[in-house]
Amino acid sequence: MKNDLPAMFAILIFPGGLSLLLGGLMFEWIDRKFVARLQNRKGPKWYQPLADVIKSFSKEEIVPAGVNAGLFIGLPIVGVTTALVTGLYVPLFGFAPSHSFAGDLIVVLYFLSVLTLTLGVAGANTMDHFSLIGATRTLTQLFSYEAPFMLALLGPAIVAQSWQINEINVYAQNHTWFLFSQPIGFIIALIGLMGKLELPPFDAPEAETEIVSGALTEYSGRGLGLFHLGQDVEFIIGITLITTFYLGGLANPLEFILKSLGLLLVLTALQTLAARLRIDQTVGLWWRIGALLALIQLIISIAIRKLI
Amino acid sequence: MQRRSILDQLKSWARVNSPWAIHYNSGGCNGCDIELLATTTPRYDLERFGIKLQGSPRHADILLATGPATLQSIEPLRRIYTQMPDPKYVVAIGSCALSGGVFHGCYNVLGDLSRILPVDAYIPGCPPRPEAIIYGIVALLNSVRNSDQKITFTSDIELDIAEPVLFPRERGEITQPNRQPHADRYLRRES
Ligand code: SF4
Repeated sequence: MKNDLPAMFAILIFPGGLSLLLGGLMFEWIDRKFVARLQNRKGPKWYQPLADVIKSFSKEEIVPAGVNAGLFIGLPIVGVTTALVTGLYVPLFGFAPSHSFAGDLIVVLYFLSVLTLTLGVAGANTMDHFSLIGATRTLTQLFSYEAPFMLALLGPAIVAQSWQINEINVYAQNHTWFLFSQPIGFIIALIGLMGKLELPPFDAPEAETEIVSGALTEYSGRGLGLFHLGQDVEFIIGITLITTFYLGGLANPLEFILKSLGLLLVLTALQTLAARLRIDQTVGLWWRIGALLALIQLIISIAIRKLI
Repeated sequence: MQRRSILDQLKSWARVNSPWAIHYNSGGCNGCDIELLATTTPRYDLERFGIKLQGSPRHADILLATGPATLQSIEPLRRIYTQMPDPKYVVAIGSCALSGGVFHGCYNVLGDLSRILPVDAYIPGCPPRPEAIIYGIVALLNSVRNSDQKITFTSDIELDIAEPVLFPRERGEITQPNRQPHADRYLRRES
């Protein structure tokens, strides 16, 4: 579907900005509700994530002793901004991205990592031991899943011969789903997304039973709410990216709803099934198996391209 | 009652619908804690009310305190309370937290939590059932819905919390905070 809305409207209201935030909150609710149903309970009400965020914003923000106050206050804003910027380049809600240029795939991947990076720096900024350990784990995990995730998204890009998300989207709509032509890549991208979003079994960075709540231990009020929003936005963007690449593209809003909800339910079921991995197990899994499989997938697709 | 602005109503709506809790046992027998943890299992499903058990006091709105507050644990209890951001509430769970319960009159316990914290809801029982705990928290939320007055709390106990030493090496000394206050400060027995 074409998108010819005025630029300011596209950035602030739809499909970026406000509707992106609300979409992220909605996705979080579906995720939590489905986990609750799988655990045989009723689960939260539909406005639960919204209430959480508003409550966080209405609370006092404590700047603890021993931190760099500027960084402490600024980092959540940087994190949530970079997450929102990516909304301009992906086909959100089934509409064509409002901005697009050659190579925006790299930019989007970079911006998605910046949120994790700010989380790590925010944890390292405080004096608290728990947030220090959380920050170390966040950054360690970032370096382990980033390469395989990137390689897994490169597969479709190489076949479509473009580094532009919009063109890959159009290519995917007119060809067999990459899910069937590159199954290994799909699995790695899916699990990579789980690592990126710090869902179980990759939630060692915020393991509540070990290190309180990881990098965000010292954050309260506004900062906590902003990071929460940023993670929700990353959630919806990540799901949109994988649906675009591997599930036959997003041509219209109906397709977006069906495909992204399907993917969301798979993600939720996977996260309910698995127990938490230790951080060294996570790193080992990604570098020994993930990166290797992604490379093999990439080599196969390049070889097939050369032969045909 | 004074009419409240839309923003205030929105704030109190969010506050009522998303109470995150932190749990601290100040020296009870653990019975209440087991019941409290049973309350957070899927069978009782606290997430219906938006209640989430948090590890960090900085994220919490409600302090679920059990136990009679032994002299050792008064300081950590107060420290957790001061670490929580405003607005915050305290729920005292179990007979111990209300009056000392079976530990009443012991040489090393304070007994009534309201002597050191502004308690907003009391849940009696030794230990209270999960249903009772849920009922107590929901009763607290209902009273939060209708009021936003500031609580002024004065304690009859003077308590200075030891400052954490952040940069011991820069100061060139390592100070040991006095962690073991004298029992006479807290226990004022009726003679
Ligand atoms: S109230 Fe009863 S069950 Fe609870 S901590 Fe005290 S003695 Fe134990």
